[in-house]
Amino acid sequence: MNTELSKEAADYGGQASRALAAAGEDRAVAVLGELGAWDLDPRGDADDLEAAAALCRSAGYRAVDHPVADRLLPLGGPVTQAHLEPGGTADPRDVALVLTLQCWTLLGMLDRAIDLTREHVLVRRQFGRPLAEQQGVRFQLSDAEVERVGVEMLAAYALWSAGSGRPEAVDDALALRLAALEAAETVFRTAHVLHGALGFCDEAPLSWLSRRSQDLRRRPFGPSATRDLLARRIDGRGLTGLYSEENV
Amino acid sequence: MIAYVPLMDFSMGQDAAGLRGELRALIDEHLPPGFLGAFTDDPADLATAQRFCGILAERGLLCLAWPPEYGGRGASAWEQTVVREEMWAHHEPRGAQYMGVNWVGPTIMRHGTAGQRERHLPPIARGEVIWCQGFSEPDAGSDLASLRTSARRDGDGWVISGQKVWTSYATMAQWCFLLARTTKADRRQDGLTVFLVPMDAPGVEVRPIGCLMGPHHLNEVFLSDVRVGADAVLGTEGEGWRVVQEVLSFERVGIARYARCERLLHDAPAALGDAWAEAPDELRVRWTRALTHCRRARLLAYRVIALQDAGTVRPGDAAAYRIAVTRLDQESAEVLMDLAALGGGTRFQEEVEDHFRYSHAATVASGSIDIQRVLLARELLAVS
Repeated sequence: MNTELSKEAADYGGQASRALAAAGEDRAVAVLGELGAWDLDPRGDADDLEAAAALCRSAGYRAVDHPVADRLLPLGGPVTQAHLEPGGTADPRDVALVLTLQCWTLLGMLDRAIDLTREHVLVRRQFGRPLAEQQGVRFQLSDAEVERVGVEMLAAYALWSAGSGRPEAVDDALALRLAALEAAETVFRTAHVLHGALGFCDEAPLSWLSRRSQDLRRRPFGPSATRDLLARRIDGRGLTGLYSEENV
Repeated sequence: MIAYVPLMDFSMGQDAAGLRGELRALIDEHLPPGFLGAFTDDPADLATAQRFCGILAERGLLCLAWPPEYGGRGASAWEQTVVREEMWAHHEPRGAQYMGVNWVGPTIMRHGTAGQRERHLPPIARGEVIWCQGFSEPDAGSDLASLRTSARRDGDGWVISGQKVWTSYATMAQWCFLLARTTKADRRQDGLTVFLVPMDAPGVEVRPIGCLMGPHHLNEVFLSDVRVGADAVLGTEGEGWRVVQEVLSFERVGIARYARCERLLHDAPAALGDAWAEAPDELRVRWTRALTHCRRARLLAYRVIALQDAGTVRPGDAAAYRIAVTRLDQESAEVLMDLAALGGGTRFQEEVEDHFRYSHAATVASGSIDIQRVLLARELLAVS
């Protein structure tokens, strides 16, 4: 078992993150092109799929205002409920991959929100000491981090599931999406409350990161629709796991 | 493009799959229908667990991950994970012996003398001995370092006095892994020592505490001038805190709580039969969420195991898993109780009710969830 992206893919993501930070928002899409993003073949090449995931995560971290996952794996339009029906027009594996890569982008946003909040509570002093020394603050940050790291693992699992062509890959992508959307609510709420009013100001990266997360959190399916879709798909049988038929 | 080598893989491999099948076959063959673990009012359940430990030991399955010289197979961390999952999913048919295998034995391997290893490891490996853990006291719960049980030198040995509480399985244990203060120190964590104490030593008295989880789970242990030899000290005198931190980290990943949650949730639709279709949509959505959270907790456990294997695990990693899995335990119990109220038959309902009662302890046992939040925050906020 290996639960992490290859070192090469992680390095590629790191390189992308640094390049995006240096280039600034106006050149972000051009920088992705210079990094070879649009030449990646996540459908046909396992190495490129891991690289695409790392790239999406970095794009999320830098809040790139561009639908990176959808462009990496074009389906001819956004994912719709029709794509999830049996006999839909798109290959289910492609649908699972797009949904999964979108969550890798959202994961990058959660990484950033936690990092920003951590940095803020370490320097912001109230009652004569850093916020980070307040137990209430520590508990909130811990709870947000548990949500974030949970998404990290589900994102890795869903990528492996779709990448290796498992038949339940769409269910796995929706399970990831369900957890990622719920995590986003917790993480961004925590980030905002711990930033105080500063977090609403555009000089604070959290302000625009939080706004840009909204598109991924509502489209193609918001939390209620995602829960409903997954519940209907796995009704009575559950997710593939330790006690589903293939393991019994 | 750079030539990437994809490494990600969530399969446990054929060896682990074979082992899972072997364990399930043994469970089917040797556990009576409706078995809810060793800790009931029926002595036959304890006898079943003791017998089952012997069966596992004969096949080298009890201490699978131990080195061969101590009766194990030197199995991989993933095979050990399969054992934890299957045992916990099926109401821990090893009874209290899981503690001996998971952390008492490994701690004695690491810190014990040759004589202690020779004395204690073979009985654990054969499935013949039950241990209990003498840590918590009336005034020392999460704040364990404030414990008052003391040990003073007496000739070649020691005399131990004090009181322990919440001591699971003390009524059935032959040995206690006990933490006591041997010297007063400026730092409360210093001057503590681990003792391996026979439960039949004069001066040891156990009083059961009736509780929500059922019999045997909670006890008081009184130690009145209990004399033990110098060979009862585990590790270096005064450095017990370090040993106990290792023990707690073994424990934090030791119980695969997600496996029982997943099995019961997975069994629910079939158990309910026609009643499943009548369950409210909202309840079936909660069931779906709980299954998603099962997977999340399982993957967080696998993350900790992978990091342990690589030697890079930090306390916060185990804490994140513990927070997720204990919340899952209680979330799944709520969902399952709602489902069981709709039907499912006596056996399913009894299993669910047992899970519900036991889940209450999940956020308290082996370090409360708030301590886990403290540990995780400490790591997150460490200034590098």
